[in-house]
Amino acid sequence: MTARARRLGLLLAWLAALVLLAWYCITGIRISTDLRSFMPPAQTADQQLLMEQIGEGPGSRLLMLAIGGGEMDRLAQLSRELLRTLRADAHFSQVINGEFNADMLDPQWLPYRYLLTSSFDAQPLDEAVLADQLQQRVEDLGSPAATLLKPLLPRDPTLEVLALAEQWSPPKSPQVRDGVWFSPENEALLLVQTRAAGFDPAAQGEAIAALESAFASITTPNDQAKLTISGPGYFTVLVNASTRAESEWLGRISTIGFILLLLLAYRSVAVLGLAALPIASGALAGVAAIALMFGEMHGITLAFGFTLLGVAQEYPIRLLSHRRAGESALQSVRGLWSLLLTAIASACIAYLAFFASGVTGLMQLAVFTISGLLVAGFSTRYLLPRVLPEKFRDAAQTPGLGRVWEWLEALPRPRWLPPALLLLAALMLWLAPAPFWQNDLAALTPVPKDLLQREGRLRAALGAPDVRYLLIIEGKDAEGVLRESERVSPRIDELIARGVLDGAELPSRYLPSVETQRQRQARLPDPAELPAMLQAASAGLPFREDLFEPFLADVAKARTLEALTPAMFAKSPLGARLDAMLMKRGDHWLGLGSIIGMHDAQAFAELTRESNGAVRLLDIKGASESLVAAYRERILHAFGIAIVLLVLTVFIAFRDVHRAWHVLAPMTLATILVLAVLRFAGTPLSLFHLVALTLAAGLGLHYALFFERSTPDAAEARRTLHATLVCVISALLVFALLALSSIPVLRAIGLTVSLGVGFHFCLSILMARKGRARSA
Amino acid sequence: MWLLLACLPGMCLASPAEFDARAVVSGLKREVPARTPYVEVRFSQMFSRPMVTRGELEYLGAGRLGKRVDEPYQETTTIADGEVTVQRGSRKPRRIELERVPELDGFLRGFSALLGGDVAALEEHFHIAGSADANHWRLEFAPRDARLARRIKAIAVDGQASAARCFSIIEADGDASIMLVEQQAAQPLPQPLTRIRLERSCQQGSASR
Repeated sequence: MTARARRLGLLLAWLAALVLLAWYCITGIRISTDLRSFMPPAQTADQQLLMEQIGEGPGSRLLMLAIGGGEMDRLAQLSRELLRTLRADAHFSQVINGEFNADMLDPQWLPYRYLLTSSFDAQPLDEAVLADQLQQRVEDLGSPAATLLKPLLPRDPTLEVLALAEQWSPPKSPQVRDGVWFSPENEALLLVQTRAAGFDPAAQGEAIAALESAFASITTPNDQAKLTISGPGYFTVLVNASTRAESEWLGRISTIGFILLLLLAYRSVAVLGLAALPIASGALAGVAAIALMFGEMHGITLAFGFTLLGVAQEYPIRLLSHRRAGESALQSVRGLWSLLLTAIASACIAYLAFFASGVTGLMQLAVFTISGLLVAGFSTRYLLPRVLPEKFRDAAQTPGLGRVWEWLEALPRPRWLPPALLLLAALMLWLAPAPFWQNDLAALTPVPKDLLQREGRLRAALGAPDVRYLLIIEGKDAEGVLRESERVSPRIDELIARGVLDGAELPSRYLPSVETQRQRQARLPDPAELPAMLQAASAGLPFREDLFEPFLADVAKARTLEALTPAMFAKSPLGARLDAMLMKRGDHWLGLGSIIGMHDAQAFAELTRESNGAVRLLDIKGASESLVAAYRERILHAFGIAIVLLVLTVFIAFRDVHRAWHVLAPMTLATILVLAVLRFAGTPLSLFHLVALTLAAGLGLHYALFFERSTPDAAEARRTLHATLVCVISALLVFALLALSSIPVLRAIGLTVSLGVGFHFCLSILMARKGRARSA
Repeated sequence: MWLLLACLPGMCLASPAEFDARAVVSGLKREVPARTPYVEVRFSQMFSRPMVTRGELEYLGAGRLGKRVDEPYQETTTIADGEVTVQRGSRKPRRIELERVPELDGFLRGFSALLGGDVAALEEHFHIAGSADANHWRLEFAPRDARLARRIKAIAVDGQASAARCFSIIEADGDASIMLVEQQAAQPLPQPLTRIRLERSCQQGSASR
């Protein structure tokens, strides 16, 4: 009775500690979903820029919207209403639908048009130009378009507002119907730029939800119109959701299977719940350790970490299977502890290599896994035996187990088999098709084909910028960048004419350099002479004499205006657009130009040479792949060191070269075999495969350790087999299901671990057991 | 049916019940190609004096119109296949697709329907009202499209029997363009040239005496 009360008390205390830990984790940690925090620190300025631009480049923050289904009039109206709603929404920095609206130039900004327009660069605004313009306006007023132009004329007889609107509309814009963009398929089109980075799924999710609710708020139930969203951010959200949905669905099935398996193996519901405590403690401790050390945890760390922590499920299973009559759970665990400790210690020491890698994501992974394994291990050793019920079923008595054991014992163990397998693996690796590595992480979470086709169609219709290329323009300050941008602009026009690219958007398209603005200002007519000039220019034309007073006032004002700097321009309706194109980097500034429809990236080399590198093309895909490759190199280094540490730990623990060899040989061979099979099947390897291989190797270490152990009697050998079988089947339950997933990243992990578990188990039986038998 | 429309409040132009605006519109139908010289007088708040242009109008069948300005400048506007082409002097021609500017499209379709005597097409775009006396009738077409109505208040046609004298475009801001066609184009313009005098001459069929 007192023992029972003590057990209950300890259990409650344990649970209470877990609740506290969970509360600490939930309040103390922020989960980041930004891919960049899992990347290695940038080495060069371009890499640093790349890190910022992955997901933040103008192209990748763009969402393309199409409103289809319904009358054109209604679609155009919806497009206008959606534009107004979204412009008021802080999630978006730019919303355009092709509509020309005069608000683009606020009245207070109107005088600046004479500094921004390039209309009078070739020929200044003199009497001849003005006379020609005024004559054209008389003709315009006699044309069908008269009523559209009339409101602009008194202030803007040369129609500079229209010239600027044209200059600022995307370089290749879609058809305008009823004042807004339409696709050839009769959908109203909009371009939206989010403030959030393109590959930040959480932030993009919010923006997309805001979009959808905005659309819902302007449509009525009898509208047939549908909103279609496309773009990198949308795909990030979509792919994340489908990956999560599929892994949750598979997870539920495997959890049910796992519960059934444990019930079958131990015939106790209480045991089932208790067996989950060590791994739950480990996971919570891991998160808490990261909260304590980093304050923030990356989503990938969490996913990888939980995968690696799967090893810890072995600890309680070993304890449960090895309980025997006449021995308390505490005594049973003492018998196993030295082996478990070897396994835990070697894994933890190996993961120290990750900690030394210097990559935040990997350091977090190391902290999570080491603290998780330690807590799961020690709670299995010191807490779990004290809360387990006294009543249990000896696993050695499991029906049929004895026969399996005898069959396994009787298997032939030819000495040539391991070298033959090694040779076979080497041959398979040799013959495997290229490439060895998968550097394009996006390929692991692919976007459905029909969505990609839609994306391509909308991107072409909207002339939206390429996600892959960015034009970098360097200068010592913002002004320098704008000057360089102006200088290179005609050269890029030449490239467009040559068909190298379809279009480009440079910062100077929005804001000319201060130098250019001052030149334009100086060329504007003198306010004292302008009235006379206007009078001469309008001689013979019917315009009322005082009609152009607002024009005279604007020109006079423009002469005295302070030239616009990016900081001043930032307050204008287009400020956000320019702001995204200019950034300070240490002691210099960078301008980011977007490229539309790149056909020949090589042709830019000339431009780079001419400008001594001040203007260059950044290939985001190429650069991010090289970054992934560099990252993998670091992981491989960490792995290399981890393997050495693991081998050393095992040797030190055994103090016996022969025994250590029997544990390490099957593990190594199995890992090589998994690699060989994956590669032979044509799978290029990714980081996810490496993590999965590590988990499999961790499990394999356990199988080999326990099979290698000399056992006092046949019953204990059967218990070892029981424990190992439960571990193998439970691992297969989880990972073989993942291997069936349609999503490559889940399949990569599932297949690798399943293959690994299979190979490790078979080779441990063949090689580790053999070693024991021979030395016995 | 149209009579009901014509007599909606504010639209009724003291029309005697026997006046049949439809018949008048049908009577305006011309053999294509139909050409007429014109004199256009624009009265605008922007102008200190009326702006007079002369040239030729051309009607080539449904949706196909041409307007050539000869004086005081040269310009040719062609409307065909849903596209407006404006050619000025030796400048590069400018093209506007009518689909892009639906209000303009409606206006020109209506205008073309008027010249073609196509009552049904006309009613699709405009409310029709009319009035008549012994030797003069006046038709007024108010746009149905709200966007067009914000710019154009009405198109009016004055004429006698089956001949139109004047087409007037009355803009929403009060500006107006009055175009004298067929025989009326050959009449001398009233002097001094004011809107009231010109409108009177459209009613009376000759320069106001």
